[in-house]
Amino acid sequence: MYLSSVSFYIPELLASLTMVALLIMEATYNGEGKKTLFNSVSYIGLIGTFFALLCNLNEAPISIFTGSVVIDSFGTFVKILMVLGTIFSIYLSTDSLDIHSEQKSEFSILVIGVLVGGMLLASAHNLLILYIGIETLSILSYALASFRKNDERSSEAGLKYALFGGVVSGIMLFGMGHIFGVLGTIDFLEIGKGIANIKDGYQIALLIPSLLFFMAGIGYKIACVPFHMWAPDVYEGSPLPVTTFFSLIPKIAGITAFLRVTIVFFAKNEGILQHSWIATLAVIAALTMTVGNVSAIGQRSVKRMLAFSSISHAGFMLLGVLVLDKVGAQSILFYASTYVFMTLVVFFITSFVQDKYGNDHFERFSGLIYRYPFMAIFMSVSMFSLAGIPPFAGFVAKFNVLSALISKDFYTLALIAVLNSVVSLFYYMKIIRLMVFGKVESQEKIERLSFRNQVIVGLLSLPILILGIFWSGLIHFSGSTEIFLQ
Amino acid sequence: MVNPTSTLLNWILWMPLLGVLGILFIPKQKEGMIRFWSLINTAITFLLTICLYSQFDPSVSGMQDKFKIFLPWIKDFHIHYFLGVDGISLPMILLTGLLFFLCILSSWTVSKSVKAYFSLLLFLQCNVFGVFLSLDFFLFYVFWEVMLIPMFFLIGVWGGENKEYAAVKFFLYTFFGSVLMLVGMIALYYHSGKGIDSFNIIALSNGRFVNDTLTLFGAQFPFAKLVFLAMFIGFAIKVPVFPFHTWLPHAHVQAPTAVSVILAGVLLKMGTYGFLRIAFPIFPNASVYFSDAIGWLGLVNVIYGALCAMAQTDVKKLIAYSSVSHMGFVMLGLASMTVQGMNGAVLQMFNHGTSTAMMFLLVGVLYERSHHRWIVRPDGSKGFGGLYTQMPLYSIIFIIAMFASMGLPGLSGFISEALIFLGIFDRFTTITVLAVIGLLIGAAYLLWMFKRMFFGEVIEECKSYTDMTPREVLYMIPLCIAVIFFGIWPAPILNIMKASVGHLVGLLGNYH
Repeated sequence: MYLSSVSFYIPELLASLTMVALLIMEATYNGEGKKTLFNSVSYIGLIGTFFALLCNLNEAPISIFTGSVVIDSFGTFVKILMVLGTIFSIYLSTDSLDIHSEQKSEFSILVIGVLVGGMLLASAHNLLILYIGIETLSILSYALASFRKNDERSSEAGLKYALFGGVVSGIMLFGMGHIFGVLGTIDFLEIGKGIANIKDGYQIALLIPSLLFFMAGIGYKIACVPFHMWAPDVYEGSPLPVTTFFSLIPKIAGITAFLRVTIVFFAKNEGILQHSWIATLAVIAALTMTVGNVSAIGQRSVKRMLAFSSISHAGFMLLGVLVLDKVGAQSILFYASTYVFMTLVVFFITSFVQDKYGNDHFERFSGLIYRYPFMAIFMSVSMFSLAGIPPFAGFVAKFNVLSALISKDFYTLALIAVLNSVVSLFYYMKIIRLMVFGKVESQEKIERLSFRNQVIVGLLSLPILILGIFWSGLIHFSGSTEIFLQ
Repeated sequence: MVNPTSTLLNWILWMPLLGVLGILFIPKQKEGMIRFWSLINTAITFLLTICLYSQFDPSVSGMQDKFKIFLPWIKDFHIHYFLGVDGISLPMILLTGLLFFLCILSSWTVSKSVKAYFSLLLFLQCNVFGVFLSLDFFLFYVFWEVMLIPMFFLIGVWGGENKEYAAVKFFLYTFFGSVLMLVGMIALYYHSGKGIDSFNIIALSNGRFVNDTLTLFGAQFPFAKLVFLAMFIGFAIKVPVFPFHTWLPHAHVQAPTAVSVILAGVLLKMGTYGFLRIAFPIFPNASVYFSDAIGWLGLVNVIYGALCAMAQTDVKKLIAYSSVSHMGFVMLGLASMTVQGMNGAVLQMFNHGTSTAMMFLLVGVLYERSHHRWIVRPDGSKGFGGLYTQMPLYSIIFIIAMFASMGLPGLSGFISEALIFLGIFDRFTTITVLAVIGLLIGAAYLLWMFKRMFFGEVIEECKSYTDMTPREVLYMIPLCIAVIFFGIWPAPILNIMKASVGHLVGLLGNYH
């Protein structure tokens, strides 16, 4: 029984093994070529995970380990995206000057650990596993946030993150405890049935705040308003590869958990609980988009601006959750796939600029097109795409979320969402303006970026261009993925 | 063997993009080659549009079957690559082909990043064709939006001193309008049942949404009117209809000459084309319902644009505001909902395209000599004076352009404005009377500008100005011919649009 479960769990095990192997190597090996060895081990491990996930992609939904974890094509696809994000974050860290060279191996260990937590979170099917997933993800993230040990800002970021995170974990556990108390089970399916059968007004009155507490726990991880206060400081204080990683993996994992919980708990159970959950999610999503975007306008640091913009994108993805059906899930998958590539391109280029000029203030981007024309073009493409301008993938992603919303008559939310993309265009355009219209800083020595990095950025931009026009295949595929419901 | 006619629209649409690809392979230093390549490319495109004109059957009212291209694009959403042409889009396609060709000629002197400039211009042309040719709403929207990107860079990089502000304002304004349109478009998709034809503009154009309702904030609203309003804002920003016009003067003044020509000559028409192709046919009842408002807004455009133009001291800004005024006439023609009025509106779209393009090109010619555009400088001294004696040939062409845009009988503007007034008189008598005042103001500001710039003493600065070069004359000639020819004999254009416009008016007529 367990053995057959394990065969579905190979990707997670591979990732964990990679982490353990790296950990042992870090403690024992200190000879020549440590860096190369470390990198190759982590790449091989993650690519192995990637292929193991690909093999799982066509499996019918199944629950393993006596129903505590589910393997379904939706979750597997999300995990593939997370693995891709991790691979490229590690790649970014190898060249980045933002991380001290002796710490690079630690970085790989920690991000793979967070990845394992995220994968667990994305496939958790009872409250405890979900909690373990969140905690694995969080505790390692605290360490990642305070990565630059001697930097005050980084330490502050880590402390802030840990402090808030601890409180929210407590609140979440409190909520879970009450859910268990009322319904007598921690299994998602059983909870779903329990919610369907609940009649007692007192029990409902108790469940509503418990569910809200539960929601706060996941909401904290994807930094949605009002649980977002930690995010900008942490994102700014952390080294750039860490920020890149933070804006991808925890967000995608959190959104997946949200979607799973929402669909399993509420898809079939109309009633006051469903209404209050959906209404709360709608308010949270609208606030997340708006606050994220409006705060991004005033920033002077590109990293901080991108942090706020990633908050608003999480809000956009949340919109897909509250549609409560497959169309919503489909739109989230598409959004997440494009979001991974857009974010990676933007952060890669920001990282190169920051490494070249010492900081990531807006002025550093001035006249970038005259110095690194390709970088400026890719950056512009990604930013237009993030704002949702066709013919780039970001537009299609937004189109899908909007059409999912409108299919359920959420017109107000759709309007808020599109007005938010207008606002976001404004601050993305600030960078594009500087890059293309700005003056080149005086008599700077023009260095070439390494050819390898240019190729990588080019490859990462390719999906943004292709998925903007030929998105038939991906949307069809994401529509065919399944979520475990039985 | 594929019939060449059936792929003609593909060739017209993608020829400019082939041009862009070609430019990418030419080394940056060979600027002359890039210019020639672009010129040849646009010339071929223009010839293709002429081919289209010659193959066009003016007696068919709907889309011409022999040109239709219909291929699946996104199966899950029933989005198609659907191109077609009818009598309303054909004049716009001709105009686009002609103006881009002339703009390449007029951009010969651009020296900053030549390669990027010509690639962007050709890329823009591809998107403009896309807007006028698409019959799938999604495809239309994509072209409508993509067009902003080359425009943004063309204004922002090659523009005047305040170019960044103008480029950003243009982009944000238009984007704001189009996202509302996007929501309307998706709403339309779900309301028409997510079927095979839910993005098909032609299939939607049968008034099927007349009685639908939409729940918003818990209240019931008529679906057609609400979505019509969303699209109205999207299109009105492009036209631009008062009060959404504030981006226009900035964009025009800051843009380089060729881009101003394209902006005024073609892009503004995309707004009114949107009404004719999408908003009116899909929501005939809402269009009739709002036609009073459209009429009054059009009147405000006419009067307000003319008064603003009167107050300008920058000649390019003056012409920009005159565009606002002239697009007001188009709106009046649309509001009339009669055959004459609508014909006049489409004809005015074409005629304004040629006459205003002439004006902007002429200002560009002058700017290359003077490097300023002040009629009266901020300190009160004259910016130009006595140009008539200094540049006689230039002055003659200027007079033709000016009278054409003023609407003098015998030149193109007159016919279209007369048709519009004929069409609108019965329905909105007050508006007609007031709009005639706009015509008067129009004559006043143009003549006053002419007097200040061309007559009087030759001021010191103007003495060094030379008359037009052969290249400059070359690109003015086709426009001069168009303005005079269609002023005397508008039938070639009127004939092709008549059937299609009649069809649209017939559809609207069911809801009066």
